[in-house]
Amino acid sequence: MSQWLEQVIDRASEVQDWLGPIRQKSLAELREQRWPNRRVEAWKYTSLTPLEQLQLSGSDKATQVPYDQIAGLESLDLVFVNGQLQTDLKQCSLPAGLRIRNLSEADDESGADLFADIKPKRHLFGLVNDVLAQQGLIIEVADGASIARPVRLVQLCTLGGESHTRILVRLGEKSRLTVIEQGEGQDPSLSTAFAEYELGRQAYLEHYRLSLHQAKAVQLGGSHFRLLEKSQLNSHLVAYGSDLSRLDVDIEHAESHAFAKFNAIYLLASGETFDLHSTIEHRVPHGTTEENARGIVGDRAKAVFNGRIHIHRDAQKTLAELNNRNLLLSRRGQINTKPELEIYADDVQCAHGATVAEIEESALYYLQSRGIPRSQALVMLNFGFIQELVNQMPNRVLGEWLQVRLKDRFRQMEVK
Amino acid sequence: MSEQIEQALARKYEAGFVSNIESETFAVGLDEEVIRRISTMKNEPEWMLQWRLKAYESWLKMEEPEWAHLHYPKIDYQSISYYSAPKSMKDKPKSLDEVDPELLRTYEKLGIPLHEQQMLAGVAVDAVFDSVSVVTTFREKLEEAGVIFCPISEAVHKYPELVKKYLGTVVPRSDNYFAALNSAVFTDGSFVYIPKGVRCPMELSTYFRINEQNTGQFERTLIVADEGSHVSYLEGCTAPQRDENQLHAAVVELVAMDNAKIKYSTVQNWYPGDEEGKGGIYNFVTKRGICHNNAHISWTQVETGSAITWKYPSCVLKGDNSVGEFYSVALTRGRQQADTGTKMIHLGKNTKSTIISKGISAGRSNNAYRGLVQMGPNSDGARNFTQCDSLLIGDQCGAHTFPYIESRNPSAIVEHEATTSKVSDEQLFLCQQRGLDAEKAVSMIVNGFCKEVFKELPMEFAVEAGKLLEISLEGSVG
Amino acid sequence: MLKIKNLHASVEDKTIIKGLDLNIKPGEVHAIMGPNGAGKSTLGYVLSGREGYEVSEGSVEFKGQDLLEMDIEERAREGLFLAFQYPVEIPGVSNMEFMKESVNAMRKKQGLEPLTAAEFLKKAKEACKQVNLPLDFLKRGVNEGFSGGEKKRNEIMQMILLEPKLCILDESDSGLDIDALQVVANGVNSQRSPERSFIVVTHYQRLLDYIKPDFVHILADGKIVKSGDASLALEVEKAGYAWLGDKSKEAGA
Repeated sequence: MSQWLEQVIDRASEVQDWLGPIRQKSLAELREQRWPNRRVEAWKYTSLTPLEQLQLSGSDKATQVPYDQIAGLESLDLVFVNGQLQTDLKQCSLPAGLRIRNLSEADDESGADLFADIKPKRHLFGLVNDVLAQQGLIIEVADGASIARPVRLVQLCTLGGESHTRILVRLGEKSRLTVIEQGEGQDPSLSTAFAEYELGRQAYLEHYRLSLHQAKAVQLGGSHFRLLEKSQLNSHLVAYGSDLSRLDVDIEHAESHAFAKFNAIYLLASGETFDLHSTIEHRVPHGTTEENARGIVGDRAKAVFNGRIHIHRDAQKTLAELNNRNLLLSRRGQINTKPELEIYADDVQCAHGATVAEIEESALYYLQSRGIPRSQALVMLNFGFIQELVNQMPNRVLGEWLQVRLKDRFRQMEVK
Repeated sequence: MSEQIEQALARKYEAGFVSNIESETFAVGLDEEVIRRISTMKNEPEWMLQWRLKAYESWLKMEEPEWAHLHYPKIDYQSISYYSAPKSMKDKPKSLDEVDPELLRTYEKLGIPLHEQQMLAGVAVDAVFDSVSVVTTFREKLEEAGVIFCPISEAVHKYPELVKKYLGTVVPRSDNYFAALNSAVFTDGSFVYIPKGVRCPMELSTYFRINEQNTGQFERTLIVADEGSHVSYLEGCTAPQRDENQLHAAVVELVAMDNAKIKYSTVQNWYPGDEEGKGGIYNFVTKRGICHNNAHISWTQVETGSAITWKYPSCVLKGDNSVGEFYSVALTRGRQQADTGTKMIHLGKNTKSTIISKGISAGRSNNAYRGLVQMGPNSDGARNFTQCDSLLIGDQCGAHTFPYIESRNPSAIVEHEATTSKVSDEQLFLCQQRGLDAEKAVSMIVNGFCKEVFKELPMEFAVEAGKLLEISLEGSVG
Repeated sequence: MLKIKNLHASVEDKTIIKGLDLNIKPGEVHAIMGPNGAGKSTLGYVLSGREGYEVSEGSVEFKGQDLLEMDIEERAREGLFLAFQYPVEIPGVSNMEFMKESVNAMRKKQGLEPLTAAEFLKKAKEACKQVNLPLDFLKRGVNEGFSGGEKKRNEIMQMILLEPKLCILDESDSGLDIDALQVVANGVNSQRSPERSFIVVTHYQRLLDYIKPDFVHILADGKIVKSGDASLALEVEKAGYAWLGDKSKEAGA
């Protein structure tokens, strides 16, 4: 056990609210946890040293920090700074069928099952979040409600700040919602940001997780989805890396005929690490999953991708595909990828593929032969590799806003 | 339809008989004294004993690995006997005529006649029975070409310089738990040395047989192909049908010097246990080869036996332009569990590797591919291609794929693909409509699925592998 | 050769064939035409014994034996051949290997020695030539990566090799251009003999320009609603199947 974890356990015993019994259970589990080292499979390539060395001064919680509004998106922005909700929910005019409460203010039990049941058990930092997250939101969409306005959650971390938030989202039957989870920070800070989603029957969720932490901002978080019958998830993740950035995305087909699409883009520079673990659980027949992750790694950065598909015994007629493609730009960078299949049903169609490569010479030559300088051709081709996934984002306003940021990001990266 | 396939898969284990041979077997248990006694039995020089004891020392400090997708009760290393040899072998027979006829009959029954005149011309055999090598055929003929092919226990005496120079260089004593155990207690195995520029005039092969109860088999094979030489080596294994599990922990080391080529083929048919998972061999094997410049190592394996298979024949592609290949068919049924694959470690420039893995799971078995492809910082221009296909037969089995890819070189290219399929009703129907019975149809479809691997086997073995798969798929349909 | 009496058959509890009678003598060619969903393909599957096709009523006699009692492969060995509309791929199993096993299974049934590799190869080459398939198709996996037309020709090639007694061609013309159609038809015609019978299942008349049938039957809603000679096919060509709307109701009444 590390000192850091001991401190977490000490602090957790002071937390007292309506989630008490759940927190107690997680706390007991946390006490049993061993601090992961490289021999623990889930942390094989990612070191927790940056977290252990992190100096958190405890910043001024009330700071107003400016953040980018996205023109034309017309989103409902809910802003957290260092784990404290800054937006006054009472001032928000919510569309009919949408209910949003602060986790700390909820006094009924309707959020408790979301809080406790969706996140996979195995998760060390999920447990940390269980015991420390006092702020967060419970977002509920009524049956049949179609919410056009995207809900955007912006979580900012400042120097020395620490943020533990939990977002719980429940989509009623045949409802529709768009959620954008955005996290940012550069200075030494820590955030554990977890979100749990339950998609009711025939519900549709459009989901974006923009994990734009950089430099010294440590982030350990995840988004977890439970899909009920015929629900549809369309999820897109964009990540930079930081000293330590780890996300776990879990999708559970809990009822049949659900459809999940999950795309991920990671663009890493300098000495950053980004570690994405995705797990798709097909528990029931007739589920479909399409997963595509693409990453570009420059400088001394390190990418870790672990994409697991688990087809349970009863999940006949599952269609599941996972594809992970990587470009390594630098001799000092590294890519570690592991697409995993665990299959216990025979009448399924499952495939995965993973590649690590460089830009094809023939494509480069083709562009150069049209008069484009090599360096520019490289940028174009590299960006094209990512662009394909950006283009698949249904929200074009957001897609274009991201594209500008990704291009900026790309210019900072070392392209040989 | 799937019932038909299940039936077609019900199989007999044909090598399950026990030979009635009087053996000298150590009492169960492992300590330093046992290692000293093994060394004494083999009349080993002091350096060999010291090597073993160092391995034992590291083994004591290690923990049995648990990362594989395998479930089995903890092995009690104190309930295993670490040495067993036919009594008749005590005074080394000088020729085949002096070998106990019961031993020869055993191999004959397994389809491996040891009388040279009866053998397939072109295959030399080292027959290892429990802890000792019984006989090595065609030695004179090989010696004419300068090729050394003998039991490793003999090589320790006759070629100590070669053994000292290479033993443990590819798989170090403390490489992993099972390799360390093997290094401490290995009893026999084969030693091969192919001199510079020599193309070995015949296929070399070792046939391993476990006979005695409660014994473990710990053989060690070392093959050194000197510059520009070529060798093709085959390995086969069987064991009697017994209710207890038996441990087999082997180590194989291959050294391919500049421009050398080693082709290593295995048909593994250890007793797999019965339908309910009773008995069967626990097969924990470390196989690794090192390739120097322009060298080429090719592993081909057909794994149909063992209750537990834990095996990852690997290549360290150290030299520039070296090539590593891994072709594997693993068939599991009943309650068998296999966790097998390969490691391709690309260190040199323009190194290339190919991995073709075909896993077939039936019954209540679990079959996992586990592989590592590593592109080192200096592996400029390196290439890997991996194809992992799984075939599931029935809905009670599992097929798993765990490929690790680690790249540290921007000009290296790794491609991995995995698919899963089943024997479809349509395929069975087409075959049956053309007059084939379900059994034949399944065996044909499975053989087709494995074709890319079978074509890599040497001719003599390809026939055996095909037959083995057919026996494995033989049943009571029609 | 084949006597079908009052055949009723269902798939997944849905009755598709509803009282079909058909009598085929050696050497005859019977065309079965009909709209989509009439049960044309089902007939081929029922006769060949495909799993999931349940016979609830009626009888089928093949060469004097009860066909419905036999397993799929027994029927095949007795000489019943089905040319599939959509032949399945069997990766890794070469056409050659597949056909050799198949031919020898037939020969064994007839008490003949298996063919040697050389004898078989000679026959296979001839069969390929007859349907214009390049010889390397023998080495390729069964239907693996074949185009639609190649698959169809491959089926006819197999038919030529297996020398069956009763050939059921299930829409062997669908998806073929006119040249390929002729190749298929020529392959079939070369096999016509006084001992061999054919059931040619097709949606369109055009195949029957090349394979002249002795009888034409119109199948609608699981029954033969009209039978005639080759001229019936031409009638259908002109009138389409729309007139069956009333006719099939009558038959059902």
